[in-house]
Amino acid sequence: MPHLTAPAEASEEGFNFAPLDPAFAADPYAAYARLRARDGLTYFADFDIHLASRFEDVSAIVMDKTMVRSLDGLVPPEEIVAQQRAANWHDMPHHSRFVQFSLLDSDGEVHDRLRKAVFRLFTPAMVARLRDDIQAYVTRLLDRLLDQRDIDFVEDLAAEVPGHIIGRLIGVPDEDCPKLRIWSENIVQFFDIDRSDARKQIAETATTEFYEYLSALKADRLKALRADLISELIKAEAAGQFSEDEFISTCMLILMAGHGSTIDVLGSGMHCLLKFPDQAARLKADPALLPTAVQEMFRYESPLPFFHRYATEDVTIAGTPYPRGTKFGLLYGAANRDPSAFEAADRFDVGRKPNRHLAFGGGAHFCLGNHLARLDMEIIFGSLLARTRAIELADPAVTYKRGLSVRGPKRLDLRLVPA
Amino acid sequence: MPRITFISADGTQLDVEATEGQTLMAAAVAHGIEEIAAECGGACACGTCHCYIEASQLALLPPADEAETAMIECVIDPRPESRLSCQVKLTAAQDGLVVHLPASQH
Ligand code: HEM
Ligand code: FES
Repeated sequence: MPHLTAPAEASEEGFNFAPLDPAFAADPYAAYARLRARDGLTYFADFDIHLASRFEDVSAIVMDKTMVRSLDGLVPPEEIVAQQRAANWHDMPHHSRFVQFSLLDSDGEVHDRLRKAVFRLFTPAMVARLRDDIQAYVTRLLDRLLDQRDIDFVEDLAAEVPGHIIGRLIGVPDEDCPKLRIWSENIVQFFDIDRSDARKQIAETATTEFYEYLSALKADRLKALRADLISELIKAEAAGQFSEDEFISTCMLILMAGHGSTIDVLGSGMHCLLKFPDQAARLKADPALLPTAVQEMFRYESPLPFFHRYATEDVTIAGTPYPRGTKFGLLYGAANRDPSAFEAADRFDVGRKPNRHLAFGGGAHFCLGNHLARLDMEIIFGSLLARTRAIELADPAVTYKRGLSVRGPKRLDLRLVPA
Repeated sequence: MPRITFISADGTQLDVEATEGQTLMAAAVAHGIEEIAAECGGACACGTCHCYIEASQLALLPPADEAETAMIECVIDPRPESRLSCQVKLTAAQDGLVVHLPASQH
């Protein structure tokens, strides 16, 4: 386990911000509250980043058009290479082509062009077309799990759905979807906690295998286009809007952005219903509350709580001036519990309205997959509540994943009592 | 101070005093209008601030630009009177504007 020392700024006041510690995983919200209470932003030396935790500050940064995600053009190329080395992101030929470059990590015109080409696939109307398919899949899963009764909600239910649905959206045959999950997890695990050479090798291998798989699938799809992402991207490439690398990178991003995050929020959302039985009862009695309940799950346990931006111009945030090139940390998870933006912010309320939170980010990079994630959640919780008389937490000691970039339970052992 | 009337899908009407220079989205949010979800915060990146301008008043607004037009094609039930409220900057010229809200943005 990597041990990180507290930054001088934080330890001076006896506040040790240690987001990779198990204590933070157990309860990040106490640390977030302390961050919000401090003046201005908090410099976190371990990541060389200025952390924004209040709703107002995080919103100001995401909405600022001079803030970007990519360092390109902001510092000399040698410095980018030096930073890559320091982070152990170097010497990964496929990873740097298809993961380190992406729609998410581009800005300005490149970002607009890539985003535009896929946006249409993620509109409410397009996503709604997947509804019957998702419902049928979840119904079959539940048929089996309601017989089984004792389940790990994360592994047996949550993890089964998003990969399958995103696979459908991309155009991957059902039987290959389990592979997608392994590849995406092997790539994602190198982002945050563990930058060891061993993990690096696993991430590079997964990227290579995924690349080869997608290339073969693309070659096959060229013979006959369908209504899926691959076909859409083939058209965009033919029209000169997309390069081949951008094609692969975009497929990978969509899988990685939407997979783990949905599994995590399904798990934490289920855990919320168990921790707040009055809210679960309210939702069960009035399924029309599902959309607001799901919106509240995203706010209450934001599954992707931490992103970054770079300033391309000198800027003042929370009253403090920062020079061009400053790196800011956006703590969406902290902003979403800010009592100055949400009444009784630490209360889980399935009917909360309005609930304009930042779990999907904001500004130009606002999450493309939000409608899809909501639909998965509404179908799963709607079906589960309708088909059970009771759901009991079999093991109340629930452990959450470690790290600042993700939030979700590792497992959730339940006993289902069928209706 | 442009006065704006918001009409919900169920017919409920709310008159608000907006400020010049404010976007129509910001005016709606500031007055607690839930139908304007405005999830991307006004970056023309989500389409959840969609609304319909009273047809006879469309000419009171400058036309939508290319990015707004493309986004409007992606919302639920787009119509000729559709606008993204985050892309409409209010001036005195829009005093008396009537805005119809969709039942849902999702
Ligand atoms: C389950 C919950 C999800 C959460 C909490 C979530 C959250 C986010 C956030 C916060 C961002 C913006 C990152 C930033 O501010 O720098 C983002 C971007 C993105 N998300 Fe999601 N996401 C989820 C599900 C999905 C799904 C299901 C998909 C696709 C299938 C998806 C695809 C994307 C893509 C492609 C981007 C990049 C958009 C851009 O850079 O323009 N997400 N997501
Ligand atoms: S608020 Fe997102 S497009 Fe207007």
